[in-house]
Amino acid sequence: MATLQAHGIGASLPLGFEGRIFRRQGTGPEQACTVAQFATFALPEEVGDFGGGAVTLMGDTDVYASLFEYGPDSLGTRLFARQGMPRALSTDDFRPYVLRRGLPGQSGTQWFFTEAGRPFTLYVVLGSHARRPALVPRANDLLGGLLVGAAPTPAPTTPGPTWN
Amino acid sequence: MVALVIVLALVVALLTVLVAGLLRSHADILKSLHDLGVGVGDPAEEGTDGATSRPVTVPLTMGPTLPPGRDSTSSPTVAGVTPTGDALAVAPAGSPGLTLLAFLSTGCASCAGFWESFRDQSGLGLPPGTRLVVVTKGPDREIPGEVAALASPGLAVVMSSDAWTDYEVPGSPFFVLVDGASGRRIGEGVANHFRQVAELVRRAEVDAAAFAPGTRSERAVGIDGPARESDNDAELRAAGILPGDPSLYPTSLEDLYGPPDARMPVADGRIRRAG
Repeated sequence: MATLQAHGIGASLPLGFEGRIFRRQGTGPEQACTVAQFATFALPEEVGDFGGGAVTLMGDTDVYASLFEYGPDSLGTRLFARQGMPRALSTDDFRPYVLRRGLPGQSGTQWFFTEAGRPFTLYVVLGSHARRPALVPRANDLLGGLLVGAAPTPAPTTPGPTWN
Repeated sequence: MVALVIVLALVVALLTVLVAGLLRSHADILKSLHDLGVGVGDPAEEGTDGATSRPVTVPLTMGPTLPPGRDSTSSPTVAGVTPTGDALAVAPAGSPGLTLLAFLSTGCASCAGFWESFRDQSGLGLPPGTRLVVVTKGPDREIPGEVAALASPGLAVVMSSDAWTDYEVPGSPFFVLVDGASGRRIGEGVANHFRQVAELVRRAEVDAAAFAPGTRSERAVGIDGPARESDNDAELRAAGILPGDPSLYPTSLEDLYGPPDARMPVADGRIRRAG
């Protein structure tokens, strides 16, 4: 089982899943944020935070999941009141209209929560709403292997060696 | 004295035959290596008979013979970190297309040309849809900064020593081609130039398409009678050939293959249309 670990997020990937965990650098006033993306298909090099550019590639048997961390100013807000990431989704949690980009046949679910003192949203897309009895367990296998730890503290900026 | 001279003459003659045989054998080996594309120089550019485009049949394993007993078919997920410290996992068996894993290092002189080639991925000559992933050893064996300096933007690079172990990579550079549909390695080996690798991928893609589930070759097996006739009709309709199409009623070889000057022979004896 392949494992990933970066930016305070760990993942034990079930067979057939691939993924990436990275920091999206903010532009202008935006803050840098941690994003984790997982899929049962080949993730393109450039994927939007919520699957833009990837969900259009999904087949009927595919699953896509995105974990997006918000800034610390979201902590304590009602939207992120739920404690802990859901790790056992049900078929009823998925709706065709819960999609960032509505694509025929697909369905999705989105959850806002706080874990390890970090505010996140979890967004999961199924390639086929009709096949959700088979796909939701695959998504749950993935979620069961995700670990969220405390936000890594930025490395202290130590002065480099100086020349006399 | 005469007997001694005769014996020596016979010995010299025998040795001459043996040396000639060895030279002939050596020449055959060199010629075979040259045809396989691993000889000295570039066979594609040094055709002695002018037939530089002559297709040659090469095995999907390139380069020197690999150690026996290798598990050369499995295609586990490649998981590690990127040179910038992110985490990345690539599942070659998870996608229907081909994935080319290029095991490179920053220190090997042979790898430098490949790093340079990857700066312009559009010019690599890989079939559309083929995913290229560079795999270096992990941060314990490679300096991420050096890898980052060689990796061009947009190039997927995974630093993972485990992947080198999983794929039993004997050294760098080394290439592994995985067919996502079957989840199996379908080619691997070393190469001097990336065009050799691209040719391997191109041929593998053709083979995979010809025998993929649902293709005509696959469906034609096991059907006969009306089912086969219906299948043929469907293929023709899909190609735009409807009942009454003139191409269904050839009256001469020209109707099938075009004018003689538009045909050219290829190595396996089949006739291929020019252009």
